Amino acid sequence: MTPRLVTGLGIACALGTGTEAFFGGLASAKRLSALPPSAIRSFDVSKYPDARIVEVPEFDATKYLGDKGLRTLDRLTKLLVVAARLCLHDAGIKKDNLWVALAPERVGVVCSNAYGSLEAITELDRVAKLEDARYINPAKFPNTVSNSASGYVSIWEELRALNVSVSDGNCGGLDAVACADIFLETARADAIITGGGEAMSEALFLAFQKLGVLGPVTGAGDRTTNGTATNDTRLGEAAAFLAFEVPEVARARGARILGEIAGYGTSFFAPEESPLVFASREAMKRAITTALADAQLAPRDVDLVVSSVAGLPQLDDEELAGIRDALPAAAVVAPKLALGETLGAGGTIGMAASLAWLGGVPVAQDLVVGGSLPARVRHVVVTSIGYYGNASAVVMRAS
Amino acid sequence: MRVFITGVGVVSSIGLGKDAFFAALAEGTSGISPVEAFDVKNLGRQFAGEAKGFRPKDHLTALEVRRMGRCSQMALAAARMAITDAGIDAGALKGPRVAVVLGTTMGEADVLGDLDHAWIHKGAAGVRRAIIPKYGSTLLPIHIARAIGSEGAVLTLPAACAAGNYAIGFAADLIRSGKADVVVTGAAEMLQELQYSGFVRLAAMAPAKCQPFDLNRQGLILGEGAGILVLESEAHATRRKAATLLAEVGGHGMTCDAYHITRPHPDAIGSIGAMRQAIERSGVTPDAVDFVNAHGTGTKHNDAAEAKVMKDIFGNRKVPISSMKSMLGHCMGAASALEAIGCIMTLERGVYPPTIGYETPDPECDVDVVANVARSGAHDVVLNNSLAFGGYNSVTCLARPYKLPEPPPFSRRAA
Repeated sequence: MTPRLVTGLGIACALGTGTEAFFGGLASAKRLSALPPSAIRSFDVSKYPDARIVEVPEFDATKYLGDKGLRTLDRLTKLLVVAARLCLHDAGIKKDNLWVALAPERVGVVCSNAYGSLEAITELDRVAKLEDARYINPAKFPNTVSNSASGYVSIWEELRALNVSVSDGNCGGLDAVACADIFLETARADAIITGGGEAMSEALFLAFQKLGVLGPVTGAGDRTTNGTATNDTRLGEAAAFLAFEVPEVARARGARILGEIAGYGTSFFAPEESPLVFASREAMKRAITTALADAQLAPRDVDLVVSSVAGLPQLDDEELAGIRDALPAAAVVAPKLALGETLGAGGTIGMAASLAWLGGVPVAQDLVVGGSLPARVRHVVVTSIGYYGNASAVVMRAS
Repeated sequence: MRVFITGVGVVSSIGLGKDAFFAALAEGTSGISPVEAFDVKNLGRQFAGEAKGFRPKDHLTALEVRRMGRCSQMALAAARMAITDAGIDAGALKGPRVAVVLGTTMGEADVLGDLDHAWIHKGAAGVRRAIIPKYGSTLLPIHIARAIGSEGAVLTLPAACAAGNYAIGFAADLIRSGKADVVVTGAAEMLQELQYSGFVRLAAMAPAKCQPFDLNRQGLILGEGAGILVLESEAHATRRKAATLLAEVGGHGMTCDAYHITRPHPDAIGSIGAMRQAIERSGVTPDAVDFVNAHGTGTKHNDAAEAKVMKDIFGNRKVPISSMKSMLGHCMGAASALEAIGCIMTLERGVYPPTIGYETPDPECDVDVVANVARSGAHDVVLNNSLAFGGYNSVTCLARPYKLPEPPPFSRRAA
């Protein structure tokens, strides 16, 4: 892969909104299982007294976007637009919401999301089923379409080069990198904000609760996986974008470089007899191996693996085994233990955390799930394992 | 590197499989009929392009039928047709050099609808746990990859009504980048109650027929289906003696209006840009284009914007244009994939599919519509145009094999 320079970060997650808050929160991050439950505002949790979820605290889109035009936007859209705005400003492409570098026609968006706006879909479904379909709000109907939130990012931020929405479950945040890489290589844009989002909603929570994946896992007791407690899964929400640029563009405009994307790999491996929900150790190993080859690195070069381990043994065991197959010696961390399972945003959050650690932010010991932390982090592999046999990996390095 | 389409599969309201689809397109067959999938009596609209001839068990195993929603069922059925059409043996698509890239708008909308229905009427206790993993757009390529044994990328690009073009364009780029030899691509969409109601509430649905570019057009009619294509690198296709080169994938144009979530930009700036990109990235000029498959939804805004695009790109040269949506209905995410397959008919046979229901020319749409009956004409290079919610614009250039210049190096940065 031709290196992609990361010149900006915009993020809204449980550890903070904005780069500074996020990096600060990451340095002192604690596992959610060690913290008291936080207040939930995105839906009425009175029916779910033990709701194991975590939100972006005190999220208020008006602080970043003003008061106008927000009434029909759903939570996912607001999170993503805020993250995009922060990213463009962090990258120095915009200042005070005005363009100061590059041009709207040369900046694009690639955005991952796993489940779309369940909030919008279920709200309109309720109207249609309990009242009448004639009464659904047409202004909210577009929110039910999977690429709607991504489209609003372009509208709010005037990003006209391209807008591509990716839906690849847990791997979407990393697979967005593959898309952005191709679009930059083929000169479809000079910069692409690349990221993902997932918003909390009652429907999303209910689905994961019904699946029994939100801890405590029944019957799992205190079993641990490479040091990871198996009963600390939380469902999370987040949105983040990283600004990717080709080196000649970033350097020509004197952009600050936060890190580099150096390699990408993905794999799908689901034997015929495997169940539909299937975490694939083999796919994880292959994705890492491919990403390392893409970055022209050897396993010994990797200082840190930023995994998607979230406390669900069915997935975590396979991911960690695949990581160990490919990278026997590297330290492994799991930011989701402090952020929750953020699904389509997860890979982007992993990359955002990697920027912090590549930049010297200390790794909180609470996030370590394997190996010994290196004295210095120079090369990171970010991993995501999917629910259906897919896995992806991205290599990042300090610039 | 040249990229070829070597097989196609179709599930649509006007036929299953390539042959039936081509015949119906050439004859101007309408697939629009009264909706049977759900109750529409209160909506003031009753028609759609439902794929009523599609029976999942004719194409899928019992286990596959159980594991999937209708959208994936249609996608996998069309994928199997496409692979058969390509003459690829079972097992030949196993391994890491084969990828699956699919487009959609809503994916498994019926699964979510069922879950929602149970939740609303029976409460949380009524939601069946076993159904939940069947929901998610990501499953479309997963089911196909499982069925064919591919081990490369699995990717869903939910680009609303331009999703087919997005998937085909990205699939071609994936091959050109050297990351895959074969990509099974295209898009699928199912007709679902909430979508249908939503388009009615947007006042975008015509009462009985879709009349693109007609002065009295009243909007779109929704449809459903799946259009799947097998894309191969030139080297892979020529190594394989059974491969027939149906068409070559040329340049792909992509822009975003950043203007309105549902309406195209009134000056069609983004759409013009996407078409220019597709032409330029194919190494040709507008003069080389023989036919344009319109997005052609039959809405006032869309068709007027497209007419502006045609004027801007082609000037006074009246390039024939037609909308298959007049026959298929607007199949949303699947639309531009199905229409790309329709374009292959044009490239193969020199037949432009008609825009049926075209009665009265609209001065605002001063274009050469292939009105009501198919027309024959030059057929070396065609454009497949699509627009979508979110301000998405996407155009794919398709051509008869080797009618386009040798493609430039993949990396336009290096160039």
